[in-house]
This record gives sequence, C-alpha cells and structure tokens, in this order.
Amino acid sequence: MRQVAISGIGLVSPLGDDIDEVFAAARDGRSAIHRLDIPFSERLVAPLAATSRFDATAHFDKMQQRMLDRFSLFAVHAANNALSDSNAALANLAPERGGVFIGTGMGGTLSMDEGYRTLYAEASDRIKPFTVLMGMHNAAAAWIGMAHALRGPSMTYSTACSSAAVAIGEAWRRVAHGELDVALAGGSEAPLSLGSLKAWEALRTLATIDEEEPSASCRPFSKERSGMVLGEGAAILVLEPLERAIARGARVHGEILGYGLSNDVTHITRPSVAGQAAAIRAALESAELPPEAIDAINAHGTGTEANDATETAAVKDVFGERAGDIPISATKALHGHLLGAAGALECVLALQAMRHAVALPTMHLREPDPACDLDYVPNEARVGVAARVTLSNSFAFGGTNAVLALGAVY
Amino acid sequence: MTTSLESIRTLLMRDHDIVPERLTPEATLDDLGIDSLGVMELLWNLEDELGITLPTDKVPELHSLGEVAVHIDALIAEQRADTIATRVS
Repeated sequence: MRQVAISGIGLVSPLGDDIDEVFAAARDGRSAIHRLDIPFSERLVAPLAATSRFDATAHFDKMQQRMLDRFSLFAVHAANNALSDSNAALANLAPERGGVFIGTGMGGTLSMDEGYRTLYAEASDRIKPFTVLMGMHNAAAAWIGMAHALRGPSMTYSTACSSAAVAIGEAWRRVAHGELDVALAGGSEAPLSLGSLKAWEALRTLATIDEEEPSASCRPFSKERSGMVLGEGAAILVLEPLERAIARGARVHGEILGYGLSNDVTHITRPSVAGQAAAIRAALESAELPPEAIDAINAHGTGTEANDATETAAVKDVFGERAGDIPISATKALHGHLLGAAGALECVLALQAMRHAVALPTMHLREPDPACDLDYVPNEARVGVAARVTLSNSFAFGGTNAVLALGAVY
Repeated sequence: MTTSLESIRTLLMRDHDIVPERLTPEATLDDLGIDSLGVMELLWNLEDELGITLPTDKVPELHSLGEVAVHIDALIAEQRADTIATRVS
C-alpha cells in the first residue's frame, strides 16, 4: 500500500471558491444560507438555500454553457482549480494512469427539470437536444476526463449524501494499491430546481425558516433543529502517492489514511446506529488506527432529527467513554447540505482545520438536544487543537455510509 | 442567396461567435468547428426559426453551409407544398 496525498484542491461553494476564504468563513461561523429570492420561491414552504456565486460566463465558452448542466460546470471548474493548485500533477503522467472519480446525488437535475417544464408546463414538444447529455450523472466525470486527457477509469458514484466520500474513498484505494498515479476525486451537486426543492420539502426533511435570522435556519445537534438546508457546489481533490507529490514539490494538504463503508440495510431513510458505527470502525481498520488515534470528527450533522441523534449514538458506540473528548464539527450549518458533493467539501474543511490547528464550530447551537450530548464545538471555533487524524463522516438515504480517515501534514 | 442561409449564418454568429466573413456557402462545418452535436443543435434551432419540422429518422451528411441551406430549403418547399395540398383537399 502506498501513502496517498491530497496535493490539490478546487472548490465551488456557497462559502466561496478560494480555499482560504472558505476556511475563514467556516472558522468564523459566517453562514451562506439565505432566503431564496427566485421566481418560484413563493411556492416553497421555507425558501432557503446556500447558493454559489459561480458565474459560468467567466470560465466557459457559449457552447460549453449550453452543453453542460450547472453541476458539470461546477465540477469542471473545481477540477481545473484543483490541478492549478497541484503544481502540475499531470506532468509526466501516463494518461492511462490518471482517473476521475465523481460523486453526485442528483446529477443534471436542473436540466431535467427544465425539460419537464417545457413538456408539461409549457405543453411544448420542443425539449432541447442536449437534455440527455446534460442530465446524465456521469457527464461531469466525462467532461473532466476529456479536458485533461485522463484515460484511466472515469467513474461516477451516486449513493445520495455519501456520494463524494465514496468517490474519494474509491479513488484512494486505486492510488494506494498502485493502479493509478493521479486521481481527480470529489463531488458536485446543483440541486436547486423547483422540482427538487419541492420533492425534498415533501419528504419533510427541510428546515423551517428562522424569520429573524434566515442564515441560522440549519442547526445541527440543537434541540431547536428543524431539518437541513440544500446547498450547491463542488469540491475536487487531486490524489497521488505522497512520495510523488513530495518529489514534485507540490503543496500537500493532507493524507488519506483510510476509508470505511457499510450498508444500513434497515430502512430507506432512517439511519442506523449499527450501520454508522460499522463504517467508522471500517475506516479505523482500513487506516490501521485504534480509536484512540482519532483527534477530531467532521460530522455528517445534517440538522435533521434522525441523523444527529443517530450519529451521536454511533460515535459513542465506537469511542465509548472517550466520545465526549473528541471535538465534533457540523459545518452544514454554514454551507448547507451539498448532497452528493457534501463529503468532498467537508473533507476539505477537515483538512484545513487540521492545517490551522482549529476545531471548526457547529453554529446556531444554543441548546443541544438531550440526545446529542457530545462536544460539538458550539458556536465558536476552538484554536490550538492540534489534530493529527480527523474522521469525515458521510451518511446517506439508501444506507451507504462512508467514512474517510484524514491525516494532517505539518 | 436563399432564406435559410441567412438564418444559418445568424444562428452560427449568435451561438458560436463566428465572424460573418467566415460564414460563406463554401465554408465547411468542420472548418468552423461545428461537430455533429453542433449540427443537431443548429437544425433544432432552424426548426423554430423557419417553422419547419425536420424528419426524425436521419440527418443527411452535410459538409458546407451551402449544403445545409439547400437541404433546409428543400424541406421548406416540401412542407409548404404539403400544407397547400392539405388545404386544397
């Protein structure tokens, strides 16, 4: 097994696209969640979202803007930025030794929504000719592979809210086992269509709006939590053998030490303590680390009733009496739930937190749910937390739990 | 110059930022950087623009802008004749 470095990071996120800006927002508790003010927002019970300021016209030509769904534009732009950050990771790479691994929950749902509007709302048969190409889940990976002539595996994972963590974990395995020398891995999601927002609303998973402070509407682990807020964006990492990254003089953001998977097999939405605990244990086993080695956790922490209590119980199940000593951060309070991209953005935040020796705050946590009684770093960042290993949890509807074990590089 | 050639030129200027001087009847789609998907999109837009319906079965091989225009003009003539025939009967 080879050690695997993260040697490039590219972001498109509600907190910004620049990694330092994104980290500063997460550290200082600046929420990107806001009241949605778009044509259909009056049809939403709680018009809330965390949107990206991404401007496609600044980065893509007209043909690309017409052929790529927003989730693909996010992914391609983030991948380009990750490569720029990597100090030329693709130089001297045999093309078949490079791969693309992208997670997405809803793929090109905006394009499909637009197509359905044409067909049903406008009663027109003039559906756009690129609708299939824009809607397909694997479009983002395909465009990234073409842009950089990566001829190895081009893979797309759709395991709902754990998609990006799965994509990163699967890429890590291939690089660690020597099958690939560079992998672009992460997730992308652009789910803010009327159809998608109404569907999430119908499932009663979305937060109610905090009328006084809409940006504080998502409150993970809080007694007053009312659900999640959807967000959009992408995060793409460059993975390569640590030795190669060092030899190239790349800036190493951190290491992936291991990756654990499990399947709940109990219910299509209700999470399972046993399932989540099994994924955490699998990550520890994969990283060959004892529970005592874990210094911090980036929680899945959606702010839904079911997730937060279950995740707390799963952490207790694995770490026992030590559970209360581990700082647990739920950053979705700030950037919302990026669904199939969430695991990648949170992985980046976990790496940045280690680099800066900070435990990121779980915001809007005035009164914890009695069932959530661990250390969630409430409302304020904690400095001087020299974590060496952080877990990043991603759990999902459908039951695919994925946990990444991340190592600091000082 | 045919009606459809002007529409084709207008669409290519709009959608692909091609300068008008390059959009001659002899210019090939290849040279202009319009691939098969670009052609498909162009034909789709021409349907709207010119009020015609292209057959769904196949797109004939079209190389130059002039060839596209001749093909579209033939369809226009055919579909107008059909409309007249329907009215007469």
